[in-house]
Parts: sequence; C-alpha cells; structure tokens
Amino acid sequence: MGTQGGSEAAAAESFYPSDEDREKWMANAFDMARDALENGEVPVGCLMVYNDEVVGKGRNEVNETKNATRHAEMVALDQLLDWCRHSNLDVRSVCEQTALYVTVEPCIMCAAALRLLNIPVVVYGCRNERFGGCGSVLEVSSANLPQTGTTFKCVSGHRAEEAVEMLKTFYKQENPNGD
Amino acid sequence: MEPQIKRWKGSACDTDSWVAYPVLSDDQSQDVELIEAFAAPIVDKKETSRLIRELNSLYPLNGLQHIKRVRACKGKGSPHPLEVLVCLVSDAPDVKDVSIGSLLPSDGVRHDGLGEPFVVKVPARPPLTRPQFELASKHWPTSFHEDKQVTVALRGELFSPPQKATMHLYMMSAFTAAEAGKEMGMEAVGAVVVNPATQRIIAVGHDCRGDHPLHHAVMVCIDLVAQSQGGGCYSFDRYPACRFTSSDTDTFKSGEASSQPYICTGYDLYVTREPCVMCAMALVHSRIGRVFYGTASADGALGTKFKIHSQKDLNHRFEVYKGVLSKQCEDLKGLESHNRKQSLED
Repeated sequence: MGTQGGSEAAAAESFYPSDEDREKWMANAFDMARDALENGEVPVGCLMVYNDEVVGKGRNEVNETKNATRHAEMVALDQLLDWCRHSNLDVRSVCEQTALYVTVEPCIMCAAALRLLNIPVVVYGCRNERFGGCGSVLEVSSANLPQTGTTFKCVSGHRAEEAVEMLKTFYKQENPNGD
Repeated sequence: MEPQIKRWKGSACDTDSWVAYPVLSDDQSQDVELIEAFAAPIVDKKETSRLIRELNSLYPLNGLQHIKRVRACKGKGSPHPLEVLVCLVSDAPDVKDVSIGSLLPSDGVRHDGLGEPFVVKVPARPPLTRPQFELASKHWPTSFHEDKQVTVALRGELFSPPQKATMHLYMMSAFTAAEAGKEMGMEAVGAVVVNPATQRIIAVGHDCRGDHPLHHAVMVCIDLVAQSQGGGCYSFDRYPACRFTSSDTDTFKSGEASSQPYICTGYDLYVTREPCVMCAMALVHSRIGRVFYGTASADGALGTKFKIHSQKDLNHRFEVYKGVLSKQCEDLKGLESHNRKQSLED
C-alpha cells in the first residue's frame, strides 16, 4: 500500500487494530450505517477510536443538511475535534493515534480530509466503486501530496458483502421508478 | 516602480491584465502518441483508387479512422506525388526483409503502381484539440472534428470583455474575502459561489482553518450555500466576511422540492487558488457547474496533481478555468509564504 515514512509506519504499527477490535468497532459502525438507511441517507457509518475510546462517530447526513460533504467521516471528524477541545488535548497527537472504522471505503474527499488530520489507519468494509479515494477511483491515501497531511494505511474487507447489500438496498429505494 | 497595493486598487476593472485558460482533461492536453506504420509511394497515380480500395480491405486500420490513407508529397523534387499507408508495423507479417512483396500477398492487392515501403509514424488517437491536431498533422494527415469552444478557450478568447468584467468582479469579492480572512489569522484564500443565470452571488467565504482544520474556503462556501437553501451545519457568524443570500425567492416560494436548486447544480465557483483534493471532490459531490481559480496550488486537484473535474469513473464533471485575476491571486500566496517564513524565523 504505497510508500510511507518509517516513523509514520512505526506509529501506525503501535496500535494496529486487532481482530477483536475490528469485530467490536465495525459492529458499531454498521449500527450507524443502518441508522442512516432508516433516515433516507446513504448507508455509511463510522467510528473514530482513540485509546480504546470512541471519540467520534457519524453516519451520512447529506440530505438532512443539504450539504453534500456531510459524509459519515466528516461528521465523525467534527466530533473528534470537539472532543479534543473539551479534553484539552492537542488535535495532531490525538489524530496520530486514532483509527477510523467505516463500513465503506472513504471517498476521495474524505480520504483527503483524513490525510489533512493525520489519521494513520483506516479499517473499512466494502470498496467504493463510485467515489473511492483509497484505490477504487483514485489512491489519495498513499499519493505523493506533501501539502496534504500524511498518508494512511488501509485494512479492507471486513463484512464487505453486508456493506454492499446495504448500499444496494438504498439505491433501489432511491430510484424513483422503484417507488 | 509603482507600489503593488496601489496597482491592485487601480486595476479594479482592468480585465486586460489576465486571461482565463481552460484546464482540460489529460486526454485533451497530452502529447500526441505515435505508432509506426509502413507507407509506400504511389508511383502511378492512376492506380490510386484501386490501391486504396484493396488496401482498405486487406488492412483496414481498425480504430484509426482519424488517419487519412493517402498523403500528398508536396513539391521539393519528390519523384512521386502521393504516398499510401500499407499497414501498421504491428499488422505486418513477421518477415526479415520488408518489401511490397512480403507485405502484400499477390492475391489481395496488385502491386502495380506501388514503390518500396518505408516506415512512418502516425498518430495513434484522434486529436481532440487544435494544438493536438496541428502536431498530429505534422506526422501524417489526420482528420479532426473540432470543438470550436475548446479552440477559442485555448486561445484565451472564450469570454467577451463584458463577461470578463463580471468574472473580474466575482473574483474581486473572493479576493476581498481572502484579505478579510487573512486579517483574522487565516490563510489568505477566498471563494464565491454565483448563480450565473441570475448573476446573483449566493455565498462568499474565506479560509477558516485556524478554527477548524477542514474549513478551507471552498468547504465554507459549500456549507453557506446549504444554509441559503435552509440547510447547513456550521455557524460562521464570527466571520463577517463569510455570508450568504437566501435562495432565489421565486424558486423558494413555490415550495416544491423539485424546483429548489439541488445543492450547487448550475452554480459557478470563484476561488483565489486551485482547490485541494478534499475541496475538489466536495465540488463534485455538490454538482458545481463551473470553477474559476486565480492561481495554481502545489497539491491542487483541478489541474496540478489531479484533474478531478474530468476524472474517469466519477459521475459528475465540470469545466475549470484558471488565471482569473491571476496576478492579484498570486500575490495573496506570496504574502502568505512570506508570513510563514517570518514566523518560522521568529
């Protein structure tokens, strides 16, 4: 997965998510995605985990806000920033030890946002063929962009079929001919 | 020498100081790719139409419909007036000594009127722009279905003086917002969203990343547009230069969801410098109409590092023009790196 600086790789290694972590946090992310689906939003859910603590969570809320950038990751990153402020902790040092668990591969925009905040590890379910920024459409996660934060590692495939099924259900509903 | 500040104020309507050029896709802006082919002189002109017919059926040059089969040899003492493409080098039977005899089985094409073959380079893809066409034609005659708008745009002549005056005004708003943001300690970047149909400014914003690392000017504007449509999720009240005007009243009053603008559909964005990857993709998600920027960025995603506006596989594409108020926008960047350098030295 692309080139990475030694220190970044080492930092990522130090809290590389275990199978157990993945199981636990991804279950939570799927709950968020289901909540999105029930509210007429694209079913994507995510969690930001720092020191075994959830410091941000989100699900897609584009329709609710009429803002097309309100993807689950962006919502969760806002919560993470608030959490840092309330806890009086430095954003960068928290982010460098935070993993993102998300049901679908982050899009190009979210991948860039994750880089800008120096999140080192992303665990995701299925690929995002339409907008994916971790290899499906562009590989922003590992691209040479010195002004755009740091690269991050991806761990993919956890409950991928389930994540795809939820997306399919949504797009079937969305199709006006299907109503 | 005239001081810079004075020149900015003095040139408020000087639309001759800049040119907007299109940022085209890679396909439209890349060099002409060439492939090798065998050509042969037509020594007897009377055989030309028969040779073309027979060569076309033996070696149809599939996928190279833009290539003309025959070219004229212009003067300069050429012993023959015409040359014809026999086949691609990759089509040719694997023979050591290339000759008309080895390329053409005698039952397919009669050799009458053809001289000995030689290798030429021909354009592999149809030219998409006039510069590509002109380069391609230097190698071999090529047909070209010209997109006139692209040709005019590449000359920097797409926008009329009155259009440029309006564009100038919008970018000045973005520029002023950038300065206001800078005053508040933000990066000197400003952006404006305009409805070109009504010529109304919908939102003006500037970089706010001092308070939120993702609040780049474009992201701020996108949320302000959402607010103008009754949505949005941030408050920019403490930044007087970040503001929006409510959705065009006629579309809003009718109350039908279908008549409301869908996010940024049909809107234009003016931004002082090229958007980053996050902002560029945010504009794809927001279905922006067109983007105009002043000057390129190191990690820019609308021309420099990526061309997200023309990215294959994405469901929305848009036109991008750069260079609007380029000098002033470039100076904004200069201010910034100067400041940054100073603070590093302090």
